Amino acid sequence: MKKPKPTAAIILILSVFAVCLAAETLLVKVQTTQLRKGPQFFSQALAALKAGDRLEKVSENAGWIQVKTSAGVLGWIHSSAVEATKFNLLAMDKSMKTQATASEVALAGKGFNKQVEASYRAKHGDVSFAFVDQMLQLKIPPAQIEDFLKNGKLGEFRGAK
Amino acid sequence: MKTSRRFGVLLLLAAMGLFLAGCSIVQKGADVLTAQGKMSEKDRDALVKTSEAVRSTFSEINEEEEYYIGRAVAAMILSRYAAYKNDALTQYINTVGNAVAVYSDRPEIYAGWHFLVLDTDEVNALAAPGGMIFITKGLLRRCRDEESLGMVLAHEVGHVCAKHGLQSIKKSRLVDAFKLIGQEAVQRYSPEKLAQLTNVFEGVLGDIAEQLIERGYDRKYEYQADGLAVKFGAKTGFDPNGIQRFLQTMVGDSSSASGKGWFKTHPTPESRMESLEKTIGSLAAPPKIEAVRTERFERYASSLK
Repeated sequence: MKKPKPTAAIILILSVFAVCLAAETLLVKVQTTQLRKGPQFFSQALAALKAGDRLEKVSENAGWIQVKTSAGVLGWIHSSAVEATKFNLLAMDKSMKTQATASEVALAGKGFNKQVEASYRAKHGDVSFAFVDQMLQLKIPPAQIEDFLKNGKLGEFRGAK
Repeated sequence: MKTSRRFGVLLLLAAMGLFLAGCSIVQKGADVLTAQGKMSEKDRDALVKTSEAVRSTFSEINEEEEYYIGRAVAAMILSRYAAYKNDALTQYINTVGNAVAVYSDRPEIYAGWHFLVLDTDEVNALAAPGGMIFITKGLLRRCRDEESLGMVLAHEVGHVCAKHGLQSIKKSRLVDAFKLIGQEAVQRYSPEKLAQLTNVFEGVLGDIAEQLIERGYDRKYEYQADGLAVKFGAKTGFDPNGIQRFLQTMVGDSSSASGKGWFKTHPTPESRMESLEKTIGSLAAPPKIEAVRTERFERYASSLK
């Protein structure tokens, strides 16, 4: 029996194939964000998105990406909130899913995570995370930032009377 | 024969698909193929080696990991300094900071951008990875207008965007971390692995704290953050000379309160101002200071005790 030998060339072709297949699928990499109506931060929010959500790329405009959600909603997201899926073979035959696959969850949840922090905290009772949690609780709503810019003649409102 | 080859290729594809989930999966997949005679030892070694190279530098630390590193660095900072309790001022600092972040290279960050005033007369500002930024009361007192505050915060946002904190992690430490993380293809770590990973985590925090708090970033990072401050600040609409007005207050000031943090960790104000002048001079139409902003800044700053 002749032994089939997947050469480096085959591996390379398959990798390119896999990357090409996945090129149009993006994964949300921030904890939570919004899908927006237009390519601006203060544009109307259309849907809430969370880490691991899959989006289909439609077009691109100056740092913003037009995407379609698994529910078919079309909108815009900033490029800093997403990453390209490098290998999308697990989902390529299925319709797009909102839930990340087990391997993606494992990937996202691995590394320095909640479990590692808990273990660190158990060892270092003197380092308090209470104030960090407090600091992270304060979130400035986009409308407040927009008002701030408007009143201060900043950003898009620069030079306004 | 044909079927078995196809099976082999499929298995390889599956292994590649899971590639990022951990080297161990690739290793196991490759081991199976090798054991079945579908892959040579040499190819297996090459594939496993490639998979191990997936994560090797600071830029491959993912958003969530950066967030957990940042939380712990922030906790270390907050063990050293108390938070300044002034809700109106905290709201204002966070609004200015978030406005600048919107016009930065990284408007979206894992858990959002957060800013806090530290209750100390030392003059300093610190940026933990993941977008947790600290500015001291002593520094705030030296800002005369919103432009200065906006530019100082833009400098710190610049450190986070350029991942200067993560870049101070020793390379050998990252190799250890990625190796440990890659070995375990499960969602929860075994106690032994967790203990090892926690040790590496402590090392990572030590590397960052040493640079950020003790020794200061490499000078080139400070100049880079100044460049980014001009870029982000001007895009927001702040007069970039705001940072010059702040730095001017530091010239020749070696009093112990201001010297403790800032002077130990930053290049001299004169050399920064010189380099900033060139960067600002290259802007086509730098924004100008605006009275309405100075007025609101003064309203909040006057509540500083």
